[in-house]
Amino acid sequence: MRKLLYSTLWITGLLCCTISCMEEQDFDQFDDLRVTPTLSSGIFYLESDEETINLAGPLGSFYFQEVTFEAFNEQYVAERLIEGTMTYQIQNTTSKRLRIVIEFLNEDGRVLDVERFDIEANSPDIVEYPVFYGAGGKNINILSSTKSLRVIADNLSVGSSVSANPDARIIFRSGAEFLFQLQ
Amino acid sequence: MSMAPRLILITLFVYATGFAQNKEVLYDFYEIPQSLMVNPGVKTSQKWHAGIPVLSGLSVQGATSGVTVNDLFANDGVDFTTKVQERLLSVMTDRDDFSSTSQIEAFTVGFRGKNRLDDYYSFGMYGEMDIISYWPKDLAILAFEGNGGANLGRNFDLGDLNLRGEMVNVLHFGINRKVNENLTIGGRAKIYSSIFQFQSINNSGSFVTREGQNNVYESAISADMQLQTAGVKGFYDIIEEDTGTTKKDVKSLFTERTLLGGNLGFGVDVGFSYNLNPQTTITASVLDLGFISNSKDVWNYTFAGSTTTDGISIVLPEDIDDVDNDKWQELIDEIDAALPHGENQASYISWRPVKVYGSVRYDFGQGGTGRIFDNCGCAVNSGGMSSTSDYYRNSIGGQLFMIKRPKGVQAALTGFYQRRFGRVLSLKGTYTVDKYSFTNIGLGANFQMGPVNFYVLADNLLSYSNIADSHYASLQFGFNIISWNGN
Repeated sequence: MRKLLYSTLWITGLLCCTISCMEEQDFDQFDDLRVTPTLSSGIFYLESDEETINLAGPLGSFYFQEVTFEAFNEQYVAERLIEGTMTYQIQNTTSKRLRIVIEFLNEDGRVLDVERFDIEANSPDIVEYPVFYGAGGKNINILSSTKSLRVIADNLSVGSSVSANPDARIIFRSGAEFLFQLQ
Repeated sequence: MSMAPRLILITLFVYATGFAQNKEVLYDFYEIPQSLMVNPGVKTSQKWHAGIPVLSGLSVQGATSGVTVNDLFANDGVDFTTKVQERLLSVMTDRDDFSSTSQIEAFTVGFRGKNRLDDYYSFGMYGEMDIISYWPKDLAILAFEGNGGANLGRNFDLGDLNLRGEMVNVLHFGINRKVNENLTIGGRAKIYSSIFQFQSINNSGSFVTREGQNNVYESAISADMQLQTAGVKGFYDIIEEDTGTTKKDVKSLFTERTLLGGNLGFGVDVGFSYNLNPQTTITASVLDLGFISNSKDVWNYTFAGSTTTDGISIVLPEDIDDVDNDKWQELIDEIDAALPHGENQASYISWRPVKVYGSVRYDFGQGGTGRIFDNCGCAVNSGGMSSTSDYYRNSIGGQLFMIKRPKGVQAALTGFYQRRFGRVLSLKGTYTVDKYSFTNIGLGANFQMGPVNFYVLADNLLSYSNIADSHYASLQFGFNIISWNGN
């Protein structure tokens, strides 16, 4: 029975091979596949009203915090990160000159990089600061080595002024759009 | 190339040959006993038949409605990534599928009733594997292009994940009855013995990243997804344990499941043939109207919930006293909690893919004195009955095939011509239009050498000029012993 089965399969296979053709195929092309998605995500958002800034007093920090940030530090992500842009958007309707500093810290707490934004008082228009990482920009390893962010928000003005703008606030936004090589 | 991608590619494009389940060449090819399996009400003329075990019916069908092997892997000098982008991602839709159906008949026997010559009984057992996976378009684009850049604001449909597969052993018993000179009806009861089944067919949800209301970007996900499996984990555990008796254990479990030891189901086939006049016949059949109750070795995976995130958020003065610095992990935990994924062992019913055939056939070219079934002793639908069409050497007609698939009904339309050369040889040519091909020409041949019957049926012959460029391929063949009288 097995002989008959094999014979039948051979004959049928031979028949198919005889009458069929196939253009040359190169399955090793799969090695050339490049899967490079662009991933976007919100990163950090800080908002404060003017009263909170005033409470911190003149020339003082109204926010100082170190937060873990491992978005790019995970091994799978870090190994595949190619390039991209961190985008910071700032809108200040308070009566204060302000400074926001973002420090990128590694596992040991060492500062790898610093982004410093000096913001004029009464700037209702959103000001955008794109920072490029990769070839021609900052070193991509800054992000892949970052374990936490230290965020410092300083008041560079007096601690008593009040803006004429309704609901005066400082709003700091950040987002990332990066290219990864998955394959 | 590593093994995993190779296996996926082979599965998708080469081995996974098989959708359709359409056996348009076999349908109403009543010289072949296996035509009873696609219409239990087909006209039968033999006294008895027996399929040669394992060789009576072997069929493999394959199809891809979108890209072909050649589209991607032809040695044409075009960058492979470009080919994937232009010929796969930009062209294929979530209605395109890759599918595979293979069937092997373990044994089949048919015989005419001693007391009721108008009744023809048949029974047997066959194994069938059927897998279909729709192209998960949005998920593929998400993986290939990402959620950023041009895809900001795009809603990725998580419901694009849609697949189903199963392997079953089928025990069946059918009755075919000639009601009168013009009408033959038939029915077949089936017991399904499931070897494994999996399906992920009712998924819904979306994922979108857009400009945020607060932050630069926000991502929103809503998901209600489930993968149901029955009989899969048993095999997986054996392979995972890798005890040295793996092969034996797999074989043992497979045998047990084959012989009613796994999940069971029940189904029926019904069909008829009706002569509108001596030369015109209409037929129809409904196959696999049935289900399998999956309660053993069930393992389901669920992913459901919804959430929106725009990153770490600090709002003063509300968060002024929040000195927790593990906000990233908190964010991850929040997302995880909003999108619970789990496992359960809840039983479920899986429906068999119902198939419907219909045909109209016109016979012409009387055979004169050379009757096809001259020596038939059964006196049913055979020579000696002038009202039957067995005298006619030629048949021409059309067939309709429909199958219920996870994303709706798929249909195929076939035109055919059949030519009989006495009792020894019968040929059938078909032209079929379906979602896979507009150039599907099939050919079937049935050889009768004494009591030995051999048939071979092949589809989409034009594609044999470059089989790698074929959207559809199918092959079926088998051996039977047939008797029309007492021999």
